[in-house]
Amino acid sequence: MTSIDVQDLTKEYGATRAVDRLTFSVAPGRVTGFLGPNGAGKSTTMRLVLGLDRPTSGTATLGGRPYTTFDEPLRHVGSLLDAQAAHGSRTARDHLRALAASNRIPEPRVDEVLEEAGLASVARRRVKTYSLGMRQRLGIAAALLGDPPVVLLDEPSNGLDPEGIIWIRELMRGLAREGRTVLVSSHLMNETASFADHLVVLGRGRLLADMPMREFIHARVQPRVRVRTTDGAALRDVLARHGYDAVEGEGDGDGERWIVHHARVADIGRLTSAAGVPILELAAEEGTLEQAYLDLTASAAEFSAQSPSQCPSPTQPQEA
Amino acid sequence: MPFAPVLHSEWIKIRTLRSLVAGLCAILVVTAAFSALAALDTDGTDFDPLFSALFGVSFGQTAAIAFGALAVSSEFQGGALRVSLAAVPHRGRWYAAKATVVGVAVLGVGLLTGCVSLAVGKAVLGDKGSGLSWGEGLRGAVGCGIYLALMALFAAGLTALLRSGVATLSILVPFLLLVSFVIGDLSGSVADFLPDKAGQVVLHETSEGALGPWTGLAVTACWTAAALLAGAWSVRRRDA
Repeated sequence: MTSIDVQDLTKEYGATRAVDRLTFSVAPGRVTGFLGPNGAGKSTTMRLVLGLDRPTSGTATLGGRPYTTFDEPLRHVGSLLDAQAAHGSRTARDHLRALAASNRIPEPRVDEVLEEAGLASVARRRVKTYSLGMRQRLGIAAALLGDPPVVLLDEPSNGLDPEGIIWIRELMRGLAREGRTVLVSSHLMNETASFADHLVVLGRGRLLADMPMREFIHARVQPRVRVRTTDGAALRDVLARHGYDAVEGEGDGDGERWIVHHARVADIGRLTSAAGVPILELAAEEGTLEQAYLDLTASAAEFSAQSPSQCPSPTQPQEA
Repeated sequence: MPFAPVLHSEWIKIRTLRSLVAGLCAILVVTAAFSALAALDTDGTDFDPLFSALFGVSFGQTAAIAFGALAVSSEFQGGALRVSLAAVPHRGRWYAAKATVVGVAVLGVGLLTGCVSLAVGKAVLGDKGSGLSWGEGLRGAVGCGIYLALMALFAAGLTALLRSGVATLSILVPFLLLVSFVIGDLSGSVADFLPDKAGQVVLHETSEGALGPWTGLAVTACWTAAALLAGAWSVRRRDA
């Protein structure tokens, strides 16, 4: 089993620190979502892991080895960094053949991955005739070429159509089920929520969170209950008596919608039923990854606006 | 990591790009065509049958340079280098394979070009070319191949250093077409040691300057080695 281990990784470009003493591990058997706003250092971290950029300090290893020590790296790690990387004048098949040859991957495998990526029928067309979604599929085919136990994908759903997004989601989940290590960067929250088991969140090159996705959401977003009633006043009264704060939402003529913060359906249901408030609808609102993420970045922004000693960040107690 | 698979991969990259294959063909066609034209004009006091038959090299080398620059610059477009280096993380090996493939391809085409130009040139020259011995012809054809390969590698190394085919070509093409022609007449000066002037001595029947045919090629080889080393330094040192 191969994990990705990033240890105290730092990368400076001149005066800017793109990656700041980053330490985390990506475990096999699950999809790890790599989140952060643009410029947070996700792509830089991936390039550092792949030995393409040199770290200012720190290490990144795969199964304990730096990427550059692999003899035939495509058999160990598959990566998609940039969908535009294939030369436009080459056919998709020739692009993959050249890659396969360098790592002594047998040629039939090229046709296999093209088939898997849904590009078999256009494999002999020049890449410049491809849409962004097709290029993205070609990049994913290249990542799968060596049947690697570790897969790194940078924004793989960019440009994919709805069908493609479902395909990549199922593919990544399938790879994780097979016991592979899958690290997928994204800045799309709903998208990431649909495939990630675990999250690594970056902000300004620093680690903001490294935990299971469910835990991340539950720790940051309080549960809410949505209630629809014909008697809003009665509802508010009964809830207020029990210390709940009900806020009126948008009504659509068919009853009034209310949102109860910090509440669970079981409690609210029992209370309203005992008080005889007529209920048309009662539903739990699960926190979304987006809400949790925004909560995290808001607190991170607050932190960076203050001095480090006043407000320590979750992982980095002091500025270097 | 063995070298042969990397070489194979780089060779696939060359022959699957139409522009590169066209560049190789252009070396042969342009050189032979201009050699034939030059052989029609045999007037002048310093008539040299060997150089007449290989005159087109001055133009064919532009195609060789374009080939060398394009073969490398295709790696610097849109993150292609990252894909290449992710597959072959040993950068020195990757660069050596790229240079080997470029050099061998142009050497092969260049040797063929030398033979074809010589045959065409001799045919056009007719009697005037009869003074040309087999030995001189062979030396010219081999020299033509080596010279073109060295120039292509010179461009390849420069492209790796500058990370841009456009930059390389906008330096080398004006240099070869203008500077060298203009100061080329100043024989017996430092101009003799410019990469193209030095290497082209081998294409002449007789040499007047400080350099002979093979020492001239050696001077060009030094320029090429310097460019390749500078390119290697850039590839190894910089972030991809």
